[in-house]
Amino acid sequence: MRALVEARGIGMTFRNGDELTEVLKGVDLTLQPGELVALLGASGSGKSTLLSIVGLLLRPTRGTLSIAGQRVEGLSDLERAQFRNRRLGFIFQFHHLLPDFTATENVAFPAAAPAGAISPAMRRRARDLLARVGLADRMDFPATRLSGGQKQRVAIARALMNKPELILADEPTGSLDRVAAEKVLDLMREVNREDKATFLICTHDEHVAARCTRRITLNDGSVDGA
Amino acid sequence: MFAFTVARRYLFSNPSQTALLISGVSLGVTAFVFITALIGGLAIRLTNDVTANSAHISLEPETRIARVLPSPDAELESVAIISTFQRLQIRAWKSTVSLLQSHPDISAISPQISGSAFLVKGEAVSPVAVTALDPAFIDAISSISTEIISGDASLGADGILIGSRLAENLGLSSGQPVLLRTDRGIDRLLIVRGVFETGLQSLDERVAYLSIQTARPLFLLPEGITNIEIKLYDPGGARELATFLHEATGLRATSWQEKNASLEGALDAQSQTGTLIQTFSLISVLIGIASALSLSANRRRGEIGIMRAFGVSGAFIAAVFLLQGLLIGMVGAGIGCACGFALCSWLETLTKPDGTMALPIAPGEGGYLVVFLLTTIGAVLASVIPAWSAARLDPLEAIQQ
Repeated sequence: MRALVEARGIGMTFRNGDELTEVLKGVDLTLQPGELVALLGASGSGKSTLLSIVGLLLRPTRGTLSIAGQRVEGLSDLERAQFRNRRLGFIFQFHHLLPDFTATENVAFPAAAPAGAISPAMRRRARDLLARVGLADRMDFPATRLSGGQKQRVAIARALMNKPELILADEPTGSLDRVAAEKVLDLMREVNREDKATFLICTHDEHVAARCTRRITLNDGSVDGA
Repeated sequence: MFAFTVARRYLFSNPSQTALLISGVSLGVTAFVFITALIGGLAIRLTNDVTANSAHISLEPETRIARVLPSPDAELESVAIISTFQRLQIRAWKSTVSLLQSHPDISAISPQISGSAFLVKGEAVSPVAVTALDPAFIDAISSISTEIISGDASLGADGILIGSRLAENLGLSSGQPVLLRTDRGIDRLLIVRGVFETGLQSLDERVAYLSIQTARPLFLLPEGITNIEIKLYDPGGARELATFLHEATGLRATSWQEKNASLEGALDAQSQTGTLIQTFSLISVLIGIASALSLSANRRRGEIGIMRAFGVSGAFIAAVFLLQGLLIGMVGAGIGCACGFALCSWLETLTKPDGTMALPIAPGEGGYLVVFLLTTIGAVLASVIPAWSAARLDPLEAIQQ
C-alpha cells in the first residue's frame, strides 16, 4: 500500500537573531492510510513543528515531504493553501470558531470560502456532520452559545467538511475536561474507523496516545520508532 | 460573495461599536456637507448681491491709444492724435446685438448710452452717471421697475428716473422738472417720472435712467451707442464668455469677476479655507475607520489564523476587511449626507428679525456626490492597511496565540 505521508530527512532550524536553534534533526516519518497515530514528546521536542510541517503551515529547512503521492515542498504559498483546503483537516487545542456564525456555518466554512457561498449541498453536509458529532440539536446555535466540548466537536466536524485524507490534531483535548475529552477522542476514533481518515495527533497526554493505533515519539528533534 | 457575508457579520457582531463608528463617519460627512453648503451659499449670495443690479459682461469699444505713424523720412516722427472730444462708440451695434441674441448662454441684452452729467434743480447741482436704454427693456439688467417707490418707470421722450438719495439731495419728487446738463455741454429739461430705491447707495445717489432716444442728442451720438450690457443664465461662465465675445466682436469685454477682482479673491480664499476644513474632517473620519478595523483585525487573529490554516486565501481575508471599510463608508456617508441636507434645510428656514436668512446656506450646494464618493473610496483605502496585515497573518503564529 502506498504511504499517505512520507517525510524524509526533515530538518527545521529557527533563527532568533544570531542564535540558531535546530528543532528537527532529519526526521523520517511515514503514515499509512487509515492510521490513527499519536505524536508524543516532551515540551520543545519539536512535535508541534513537525505537525505544522506535515500540515503545510511551515516550510522545513531541509528534507522532502510527499502527501498522497504528491511532492509538496516546492509548492507556492497559494498552492499550499489550496492543498490544505482540499486534502487536509485541522483540529487545534483552541477551536477558534467564527463567533458570529452558527455551528452549521462554521462547519461549512472551509468549503464555502473558496466557493463564494454556502450551497444547499454544503449546508446539508455540514448538518450531517454536526448530527454525527452529536450536535443535531445545536446546528443553528451561534458558536458563542456552545460549551467548550461542543465547540471542539464543531471543530472536528469542520475538519471533516472537505473529506480530507489526513487530519492533523494539535492537543485536541488539551483545553477540555475529562468527560468532554473522552467524547472527542471517541469521535476521532469513530471517524478514523468509519471514514478511513488518517489522523496524526500531537499530544503530551499518555491517555490520548493509548487510544491511538500507533505512537511516534520525538526526542530532541529526532523520531524514535518512525 | 462569502467575503461580503463575513464582513457583514463582523460588523453586526458588535452593533454598538459599529454604530459608533458609523456615527463618527456620518458626523464628519455632515460637517463636510454643512461647510460646503455654507461656502456655496455665501458665494451665491455675494455673487447675486454684486450682479443683481449690474451686467455680467459689458461690451465697450477698445480704448484708443496714440501711436507713431510710419514715415519715409527717418528724422521725422508723426503721431496720430486722438480727439478727446470724440466719444468712443459702437457704431455697428445692431449686428453685434443680433450675434449676441443667438448665443444660448445669454439671457438679456441691453444696448446703452452711458455718460456723465449734472442734474440741476434751482441752485442744487449733483453729478450723475446717466444710463440711457431702451424703455421696453428697462429691467433687462437691473429690475428698476420693481424698485420704484414713487411715480412709475415709464420714461417716455422727456422722462428721467432717479434714485431716492439723489431725489432727496436735490429736493425732487416724481412729476417735477429737472435740468440735465451733459458732459457735452448740452442742457435739457426733463420730468422725473419715477424715483427708485435699490438699497445700494452708489445707485440710489448717482445713477439716472433715460430713454436711449432722449440721450442721443444729449451725448452727440445720433447712431452709435457706448456699451452693450449682458446678463447670463449662469454668472459663473462670464469670464469664459467675455473672452469669446472679445474675439468674436473685437470689442472690449469685461466680466463681472474682472470688475470685482477683490470679491473673487475673497471667494477663492473662502473656498480654500473650506477645502482645508473638509480635508481635515475627512482625514479624521478615515483615521477612525483605519484604527477601528486594525483593532478588529487584531482581535480576530485566532479566527483569521484558522481560516488561513484551512486554506482560505489572503485575498479572501483582505476582501473581508476592505468590504467592512466599504460598508462603513457607504452607510456613514449616506447617513451623513441625509443629516447634512436636513441640517442645511432647517438652517435655511431660520431668519433674522428683518426677515433675511440667518445663514447664507444653500442646501443644494452640499457637494453630496463628491463627499459620498470621497468618503466611500477613502474608507476602502483606510481599510487597506488592516486588510493587508490580516491577509499576511502567519496562521501558525495566530493560532498559537
